[in-house]
Amino acid sequence: MAKQANEYSYPWLEEGEVPPLPLDRDRIHIISQGVADPVFDYDIVPLTYTESRWMAYVVEADDAALKAFHPEPVELHDNILEFWYVIHRNTMLGPYMEFGVTSSATVKGSDGQVWKGGYYPIMYLSNDSPIFAGREPFGFPKKAAYIAGFEHGTNDNYFNHLMERRGYVLHSANGRYSDKPVAVKPTFFGKTDWGRLNYRITTHPSVAYSDHQVTYLGSELPPQFGNGHRFQLDPSSIRTATGDDIRSWYMAGSPFDFMGGLLGDVKVHGLISFTFNLIIPPASIVWEKRVERSDDDVAKHLLFSTPYKYTMRHRFLTPYYPGA
Amino acid sequence: MPSHLNVDTKYWNLTDEIPAPPVERDIKSWIIGNPSDPLWDIDVLPLTYTDSRWSAFILKSPMDCLQRLCPNPPLSVYEGENGDLVEYWYVQHNNTMLGPYLEMGVTVAATHTDSKGNTWKGGYYPYMYLTQDSAVDAGRVLGFPKKMAYIRATEHGGEKGDDFFAFSMSRNGYLMHASQGKYDDAPVTPPAFYGQTDWGRLNMKVITRPDVASSEWQCTYLPSVLPPAFNVEGHRFQIKNELTRTASSDACDWFQQATPFDNMGAELKIDEVKGLISFTFDLVIPPAEVIWSETYERPASYRGYATPYQYGLRQQFPIHQGA
Repeated sequence: MAKQANEYSYPWLEEGEVPPLPLDRDRIHIISQGVADPVFDYDIVPLTYTESRWMAYVVEADDAALKAFHPEPVELHDNILEFWYVIHRNTMLGPYMEFGVTSSATVKGSDGQVWKGGYYPIMYLSNDSPIFAGREPFGFPKKAAYIAGFEHGTNDNYFNHLMERRGYVLHSANGRYSDKPVAVKPTFFGKTDWGRLNYRITTHPSVAYSDHQVTYLGSELPPQFGNGHRFQLDPSSIRTATGDDIRSWYMAGSPFDFMGGLLGDVKVHGLISFTFNLIIPPASIVWEKRVERSDDDVAKHLLFSTPYKYTMRHRFLTPYYPGA
Repeated sequence: MPSHLNVDTKYWNLTDEIPAPPVERDIKSWIIGNPSDPLWDIDVLPLTYTDSRWSAFILKSPMDCLQRLCPNPPLSVYEGENGDLVEYWYVQHNNTMLGPYLEMGVTVAATHTDSKGNTWKGGYYPYMYLTQDSAVDAGRVLGFPKKMAYIRATEHGGEKGDDFFAFSMSRNGYLMHASQGKYDDAPVTPPAFYGQTDWGRLNMKVITRPDVASSEWQCTYLPSVLPPAFNVEGHRFQIKNELTRTASSDACDWFQQATPFDNMGAELKIDEVKGLISFTFDLVIPPAEVIWSETYERPASYRGYATPYQYGLRQQFPIHQGA
């Protein structure tokens, strides 16, 4: 005889530690699928972060290379990028590691207004809930990856970063803080009139059309939180390293991730690290366009693969542990 | 001097197996973000699978539990023969356009009838988990309720080389389910939708605006019979019968529980574990139809459930640094 048991209790509900079960709520309180148990739920709203540690390399890339991965209507402002890792310790989405590239860019909105912001062409995270909370409503280009990022040693003088996905190392760097100034900074750094821009694509289940939207997150704190930038930086936590302080740097393109191939032979100007609190407010749509597809368009533009034939991007080791 | 190396290989120029970034293509081919390096791309389409291994526990559940799991409107739980049988399945996907991955899901027999009297019958998915980000996102476009989890699926040993089985799943460090046992090849009654070409698959997709002002719910339907262009006769799950194994309830040890992050173990009540059916199959996943939709508006004052800068049980667990 086999042994079988089901533990149905849900004690956290009685103790008020978790929100009401989704199937007991009004539907306005469900913001994500599955509707029985969403991948991110309304206990992430409003979304705040406490004492996250941001570690941003300042990187200079070739203008032409950068323009090639800024889709219309996103216009590249300059060729200085923020190439950043974050340890998110306390968030509504649970702790996670994050990586991203931010360029300074502008978008002429549907109403003619010009929106200035840091635009994200690349992002990676170590946890599924923030990936889909970022991707689905806002358009952040998040993927899952193995990410390590830390500071250690005397006075936390040493730093190290590593990111890998599907067996390929996408980036790694390490070195020692000298606390010398970094000569170059991204244009949007610390400016409340520069928000954040994302390019969101939502495809209909029939693939008959895709809605393209540029979303904008303002940098001013929401009114109920006071004044200033919604990145509340702790000035005493800032550490810096120059390009020469970065002992080693490795970046590579992979078959699954184009960042290294797209950015090309970059120059690293330094590293700026700081601790901060953060609020992510709802975003607005500043530009949108619907792209429709006929049956012929689907055949011509979408059906790239040959049924039942698998290519190099379809063959790799089963990822048994995703970080979830 | 430090060593700085940038290996700027553009893989899409090395082989025609990899599509160029969407920004280098016609905008009609952009299917998902980001346009410079999407999470998955058109080399996923058409989406086929070869020699996947499906292992489905068949559960008997109370009808009121199943009705609760099928959001009404628009869905009703199927009240016909074997409507109370639930498929609780693991899959090892060995060859797919999305790369290999492990998957787990729950399928309930459900129906939707529209105002004109048209009825759709299908297996509805209230819960799904996968080990891989691209497959999660590609599924969510169609409305699948996919999350990521740590999943194991094992068959090995014995006279036939695959007599023993073990399946388990955990997420955020909590065990959600574990089962182990030995196939005895006893007959197991399947759910109502098994092998039926007039039963498709149903999902509930939720699209929330960036300003959270509204969410649109779309009930999507995937038919089980494919258009002629696919050259697949019969059901789009092409089962290889010679590889089917079964286990009776007496052959299956079983444990399930809810966690603070995943309520499946609390919501899915089980009267009886009827047994296990495992088989190998090829599969095609076509685009889906939207057969019902409704939009729910939120007032401007909407503030969600959280308290700013205060973190609860679901927001405090050990950080995991990667895959």
